[in-house]
Amino acid sequence: MAQLPMWTSEGPALVKTMEVESESVSNAAMQAPRWSPYDFNGGTTIAIAGEDFCVVAGDTRLSTGYSILSRNVSKLLKLSDQTVLASAGCLADITQLHQRLQAHMQFYRQRHGGIMGTTSMAQLLSNTLYGRRFFPCYAFNVLGGLDAEGKGAVYSYDAIGSFERVPYSASGSGQSLMIPLLDNLVQFKTRTDPKPVLAATDVVSLVKDAFITAGERDIYTGDQIEIAVITSEGVAVEVFALKAD
Amino acid sequence: KSSKKADFVAMHRNMYDTDVTVFSPEGRLLQVEYAMESTKQGSACVGLRSENYVVIGALKRSVNEMSSHQKKLMEIDGHMGIAIAGLTADARSIAKWMRNECLNHKYVYGSAMPSKRLCEELADKHQRTTQTYVRRPYGVGLLVAAYDEATGPHLFQTCPSGNLYEFYATAIGARSQSAKTYLEKHFEGFPSTEKDDLIVHALKALSGCVTGDGELNKDNASIAIVGKDHKFQLIEGENVAVYLDKLEVDGGAAEGGGDGDAMEE
Repeated sequence: MAQLPMWTSEGPALVKTMEVESESVSNAAMQAPRWSPYDFNGGTTIAIAGEDFCVVAGDTRLSTGYSILSRNVSKLLKLSDQTVLASAGCLADITQLHQRLQAHMQFYRQRHGGIMGTTSMAQLLSNTLYGRRFFPCYAFNVLGGLDAEGKGAVYSYDAIGSFERVPYSASGSGQSLMIPLLDNLVQFKTRTDPKPVLAATDVVSLVKDAFITAGERDIYTGDQIEIAVITSEGVAVEVFALKAD
Repeated sequence: KSSKKADFVAMHRNMYDTDVTVFSPEGRLLQVEYAMESTKQGSACVGLRSENYVVIGALKRSVNEMSSHQKKLMEIDGHMGIAIAGLTADARSIAKWMRNECLNHKYVYGSAMPSKRLCEELADKHQRTTQTYVRRPYGVGLLVAAYDEATGPHLFQTCPSGNLYEFYATAIGARSQSAKTYLEKHFEGFPSTEKDDLIVHALKALSGCVTGDGELNKDNASIAIVGKDHKFQLIEGENVAVYLDKLEVDGGAAEGGGDGDAMEE
């Protein structure tokens, strides 16, 4: 009868457990934990790879339960002039993950005399997440940047480090509202009309629309969006206001 | 009687210098002193500070024309760097430890590692090697340059012995006396010296440490600077050539010059 929260990338989902006749007291107690180490702090992140640029964005709302904790907390981490990480999930885990990665970046730079590239960073993030395979980091990550050839690269992760390079990705409470939009407008999936090559400005407009879309129905997404555009000239960040409802 | 003792000591020096844990009859740890010789054999490093900046410089040695010049300046953190003289491998091991300490401090406390504290721990680390049977002292001297938000610029020197010194300006390594003499002459003006002039002073001090007919050029000179609102920055190659040109304009080599000058007369 007990309801356990399953901590997914879109937030906790209450899953009904089966009723088990148990004579042992300890077994019964296990079915209904009174405390969870995780909390879902909401928000959505998105990244889209272009020909020679990458756009990474996240909203700035921090929530817990049905309350808003802050309207101005960043989900983005600038790892270098060519890589930006966006994370949604539990802020405590995200903060710790980000600090660890930054320490790693500095260590790499000092030892190897150069900035860690996007592809290396992608692998490092995966390994870091898997290091906590048995007490996962509740952070759903989306890494965006330029690869060694200067082309846009986006990597999408689950909580334990499984990752894949993709043309675009969205993660967080509003992911299921955004991904279908991107399937259509970025990838032109199952469309017969020709797919246009999107410039950075087009992608930024698309991202704004995606967040307005998600913000309409997802209570955890709103307030502002931080949009980072990564090009060979570096990272430019723009803040765009959304409805504060 | 005293000369007999001196003879005795000289004759039996090798009885007391094999282990670092053995005192000589004069109360010296000969192994530690031998380790300090290693520092004196390394090529010259200088360090000097003003009110807001610390500059360290080094002469990079190359084995022959075909080889690269040995790196002597290393970044430890955004606010700290070192110049090394002696066994490079030992220095790299120390640098790795220092970098780790700084990263750890930043992660745990959210602020930059205070330089004095790190150098004191570093000095203790050196001392431990002088009191353990199975280890040997580090054969390298370091000049640690740092800028702390709270206390300003600092220049420290560490020794294989475990001693720690803080300086306004100093030099270590081969022929460093020439640089020290130059610095002694000019150091009182350093606090108010501008950043670029400070770098030129460092190069002038270094130029006296070059062997006989050699000269300071963009391949063997290296400079680093750290200071207020200025993260540790390495200046080498083409970037240091800019300052070397200023050296020529000012009329070059260190006053109180090197070995060459003494021989001329």
